[in-house]
Amino acid sequence: MTSSPFELLGVPVLFALDEAELEKRHRELSKALHPDRYAGRPSSERREALSRAISVNEAFRQLRDPISRAEALLLQLGRGVSETNQPKPAPALLMQVMEEREALSVARRAGDRARVERIAAAASGRAEEAAERMADAFSEDPIPVEHVLELLGELRYLRRLKEEAGAALDEL
Amino acid sequence: MLLDIFDPKAAPRAIGIDLGTTNSIVAYVRDGAPAALTTCDGAPLLPSVVHYAKSGAILVGRAAKAQLTREPERTIASVKRFMGRDAHDPETKRLGAHRFAEPANETEARSVRFDVGRPANVTPVEVSAEILKSLKQSAIDQLRGVGGAVITVPAYFDDAQRQATKDAGRLAGLEVLRLLNEPTAAALAYGLDQKQNGLFAVYDLGGGTFDVTILLLEDGVFQVKASGGDSALGGDDMDRAIAEGLLEQMGASRESPAEVVALALSAARELKHALTDAPEASIELPARGGHNIVAKLTRAQLDDLILPLLERTGKACRRALRDAGVEAKALDGVILVGGSTKVLRVQSYVAELFGKPPRCELDPELVVAYGAALQADLLTRDDGDVLLLDVLPLSLGIETMGGGVDKILPRNTTIPTGARATFTTYADNQTGFELHVVQGERELAADCRSLARFSLRGIPPMPAGMARLEVELSVDENSLLKVSARETTTGISQEIAVQPSYGLTDDDVERMLIEALDFGEEDLERRRLVEARVEGERLLLATNKGLSADADLLEAPERAAVDQALAQLTSAIASATTASPVQAAIDVLDQVTHDWAGRRMNRAVAQAIAGKSLNDIEKTVEHAAGVDAHVARHRGDTA
Repeated sequence: MTSSPFELLGVPVLFALDEAELEKRHRELSKALHPDRYAGRPSSERREALSRAISVNEAFRQLRDPISRAEALLLQLGRGVSETNQPKPAPALLMQVMEEREALSVARRAGDRARVERIAAAASGRAEEAAERMADAFSEDPIPVEHVLELLGELRYLRRLKEEAGAALDEL
Repeated sequence: MLLDIFDPKAAPRAIGIDLGTTNSIVAYVRDGAPAALTTCDGAPLLPSVVHYAKSGAILVGRAAKAQLTREPERTIASVKRFMGRDAHDPETKRLGAHRFAEPANETEARSVRFDVGRPANVTPVEVSAEILKSLKQSAIDQLRGVGGAVITVPAYFDDAQRQATKDAGRLAGLEVLRLLNEPTAAALAYGLDQKQNGLFAVYDLGGGTFDVTILLLEDGVFQVKASGGDSALGGDDMDRAIAEGLLEQMGASRESPAEVVALALSAARELKHALTDAPEASIELPARGGHNIVAKLTRAQLDDLILPLLERTGKACRRALRDAGVEAKALDGVILVGGSTKVLRVQSYVAELFGKPPRCELDPELVVAYGAALQADLLTRDDGDVLLLDVLPLSLGIETMGGGVDKILPRNTTIPTGARATFTTYADNQTGFELHVVQGERELAADCRSLARFSLRGIPPMPAGMARLEVELSVDENSLLKVSARETTTGISQEIAVQPSYGLTDDDVERMLIEALDFGEEDLERRRLVEARVEGERLLLATNKGLSADADLLEAPERAAVDQALAQLTSAIASATTASPVQAAIDVLDQVTHDWAGRRMNRAVAQAIAGKSLNDIEKTVEHAAGVDAHVARHRGDTA
């Protein structure tokens, strides 16, 4: 079995990871494994370093993002989820998301960049809040898995909204 | 001027090359500091122009540039803009004096070809190789030996453009140690010069390409957070905008003979340069009807002409900031790179965009070559505490049913990186998969850059949706892609030799290599021997260094085998007349050090992880208890 991203980066199995600590660990491991460090070495050693550096970078990417970090934790709890088998979100959230997307498409059509930027900023703010609630949920004992799944759904919706706002800003 | 004293035993030195759209530069590190070498033109800057004379001679640099308006069709400028592009690329339709050859078949259409009035047309890879050969020769003349090169590329270059650059290096007989992103190279030169940590933006507007990179410099690591840009936007486009107006005043058009277009472009460049020092400039040009006209251009007019171009750079900058998740005011500094940042309006635009005056203490035309030289030095020294962590500039994906794109690796992912994706059959008894790998941000595969198409055959008949095709994409430190695929239910596995959709195949490059050498195969063999020796020497050095640090990780019999392999390699390097005995000794050493290398890596990882303070570890244990307890209980449930 492959190592968990927490194990690969040598960080605690935790949602509320210290971001600065995580980045520092990634830098240190990169210094140990990046292919540039193996430039003069035999080819098999270079290949080995490359594949380890890839694993470390993948783990870092996974832990830096709250959604995939939560997924990695859920996997450790025996609840593998992904976008396709995630439980349905609450109707209230769905309503809200529909309204926000409508507002976004109105602002996009009107070419109102400031408005799109506000929508993007609001989505980022709410995603941060949701991530904080997620951290709280993961620190409870026992972990309220259903609540975590709900928050995960919310984070996914907010991410998509942010992506759509980003795409709109690319156009404007 | 200081002269190096010739040491016949000195190891060949690694060089850094900025292969630019307008000018190219070769640099190296002397006593820890980068220095540009003098090119065949007697100056650090070599114009990136190649002239294919009627006599058969090939001229590079200023001599070639002098032919631009005389024999424009035999003279290739700005070849970088055509790297990795196919014969029908929009870039070939823009205002210019190049004469493109009609592709004779589909294979030829995969690359732009220039008709330079010779029996054989030339590709951008071959033209670039001429520039690189000239720089290599300058380096050999001044350093006696060249031991590998770092070549810079725009951060926003896609896989095909990078591959083409690497091929040009190979064709020029250079060992390409690394393709390095230009803004990252510039940051390295600045960072090592100023010894300052922080968050920086690099705004790099060259002759033909624009890059913006947001990067964090901390603990000696240059970590790129986001890159953006446009690989067809630069000073050339300013020249074109000016030249369109000049052509009109001359009573000519873009359809006029190549000499006229080349003259207008060259006059446009002169006017642009003059406006850096003066508020207005003028130039005399021939016009229809045989008389001369005086074309005038003011700074205000130039500013208006280039504003649309600057706005395109602004958009890319805002997106890069967004991708990096930072605001302009969080930046500690903005660094200007590239000759086009000498245009005053560019400087004021950057200041407005980022809300602070940009820095240009280091010459914006040399700084990229300096960074490349520093990286080349770092790579060959095998020590030090400096590391460049770059990102994938454009998303990589696979075409889905219906022409969409499944993005497997998003842009701005730290490299090296890799990802797997699983696909299935959509029809009963389907025995093959067609896969199309693309790069870009657009929704439709047809709008992205096609990198490779390949198929996996021989899958036993199964109902639709039963077969499982696992595709693995991996991207190395140069942002170069490798693809492999296997069918997992039957275990049919295939390392797929990806046929590039663009550019040249490996066979093409090999053939060109042989053709380029005076004595074909014989020369190639001699060159292989030299390369094997260089690699062998480097390996001896690295292994001995490893022994002095980690010999305790070797069991006695292993140590004996390593010592024997070292002795064998040493004697092979001394006595071999062909590459193969050296290569064989290299392979043996590789084999006997393999397990040891793994242990050394484990030690390096353990040291990296143990680097944190004891205090942190305690905190960690406390926090982790919650999840661990939960996991333990769940294990009990499911066991």
